[in-house]
Amino acid sequence: MAKISTILELCKICTGRSDCMVEAKNMCMKYEKGGRFALENINFFIDRGEFVFFVGSSGAGKSTLLKLIIRELRPSDGTLKVFNRDISRLPRHRLPYLRRNIGMVFQDFRLMEERTAYDNVAFAMIVIGASRKEIRKRIPHVLGLVGLQEKAKARVCDLSGGEQQRVSLARAIANRPALIIADEPTGNLDPGTALDIMNLLRSINMRGTTIMVATHNRDIVDRFKKRVLYLENGKLVGDEQKGIYTNVH
Amino acid sequence: MFISGFGYILGETLKGLYRNRWMCITSTGVVAVMLLMLGVFMLINLNIGHITDTVKEQVEIVVYIDDQADEATLSELHRMLSEHHAVAEVRYVSSGEHMERLQRQLGGMLEGYDTSLDNPLLASYEIRTVVPEEVVAMAAEFETYPGVSTVFYGQGYVENLFAVTRVLQMVGLALMAGLSITAVFLISHTIKLTVMMRNKEIAIMKYVGATNWFIRWPFLLEGLLLGFAGAVLPIVALYYIYQFSVDWVIANNLVFLNLLPVQLVIVELAKYLVPLGTGLGVLGSTFSMGRFLKV
Repeated sequence: MAKISTILELCKICTGRSDCMVEAKNMCMKYEKGGRFALENINFFIDRGEFVFFVGSSGAGKSTLLKLIIRELRPSDGTLKVFNRDISRLPRHRLPYLRRNIGMVFQDFRLMEERTAYDNVAFAMIVIGASRKEIRKRIPHVLGLVGLQEKAKARVCDLSGGEQQRVSLARAIANRPALIIADEPTGNLDPGTALDIMNLLRSINMRGTTIMVATHNRDIVDRFKKRVLYLENGKLVGDEQKGIYTNVH
Repeated sequence: MFISGFGYILGETLKGLYRNRWMCITSTGVVAVMLLMLGVFMLINLNIGHITDTVKEQVEIVVYIDDQADEATLSELHRMLSEHHAVAEVRYVSSGEHMERLQRQLGGMLEGYDTSLDNPLLASYEIRTVVPEEVVAMAAEFETYPGVSTVFYGQGYVENLFAVTRVLQMVGLALMAGLSITAVFLISHTIKLTVMMRNKEIAIMKYVGATNWFIRWPFLLEGLLLGFAGAVLPIVALYYIYQFSVDWVIANNLVFLNLLPVQLVIVELAKYLVPLGTGLGVLGSTFSMGRFLKV
């Protein structure tokens, strides 16, 4: 955690702005040379502690944008800064250290299904070298936050979709990341469970964690009234504070 | 970090082996079957080599001495043969000794024949060479020496023996090379299948910030253990198969099949198969993972 605060301090000094979480400047992305733009001339700045929705129809570039932020992809042009560092220049061996500061939640949960909820969350902590004592102390707390303290020993494949997404959330927050990225976190869930998951994300955000959610769930976006960035055919066509899906659209 | 990381890696290796036990049994089985076949060929090749070496050791040149040669010529001939760089051993056999051998070979057929009065057999030098394959060239050279009547080395038979053993060894080596290459392909593909079944797990590890080495270690250890088990099983099987073969050869009094001792052969096999099995396991895991680590 000391590392994150140092990064954030540096961020303030360098930019003269408040804490830079993600900043894109004239960023473009093409999957193939000469192919069409998946993202074109994207510019935005996300501050520390913000809750941001990326909305748009399928193929608009939401998932590509999130993949760029975790450096699963590199921008073809322009710059993309995460924690005020241009991550397109980040050497491959430094990638794990970037990802340790970003919690990720996916539509398909991406959990190790044969393992228990506890094991899945513990894994994220083992990777960063947390001690057994620390893990034993932290995991019940984290599972408690997502309402799964009773299911710690249950295998993920025996849990419902909503519960699996909660495990995924618990894993994302286990290492107290500065940023959480969620790609269609409610895509596989019924409306009630989807709302529960989004409420959990909001409560995590209220503790200071920056949240970025890619979604086309209109109801959720309209209900939460957070900042909304609207993507259409790879272009950023709208950026509204306390926006609603319909307005931006 | 190190202890918890090491404990984790070791634990993950064992858990991984248990969770994917059927796949692991399959991989080990493939490694074991391939190495067993390779081992059988090695056993055959080692023994063919040993038997032909034994036969070759018995190949010798017999230099018959001209009965008209004087003492000086004979001592010069003895010196030249003894000092020849490719000669391992020179033994003088008198004409009387030849006659005794002949009498032994023919049984009582020469009974009553006075060998002391009229012995037509020539005295000779029996020569063992350092390199048996050189007998033909050496025999030709010895024919030019003074005091030599004729030179005999089993003309025709020796050339055939060397040709056959050369072919046998080359065929054995070609089969072993072919089998080794097949084993490498089959084993690495089987391990690739094991890794592919767990590609989702690897991708998750990458997303939560695991370093490539953190992900690799359990797979490498798994590959090592699978390869080791896959090598030890055929060695144990070959030990019993070979022991049975040696006992059978002895029981059937097949003395011409001079097989190598069991312990010696098994040590030779282990020296080759254990590093090959474990190496293949580790390399198979390493190469199979490359694609999945680029997330």
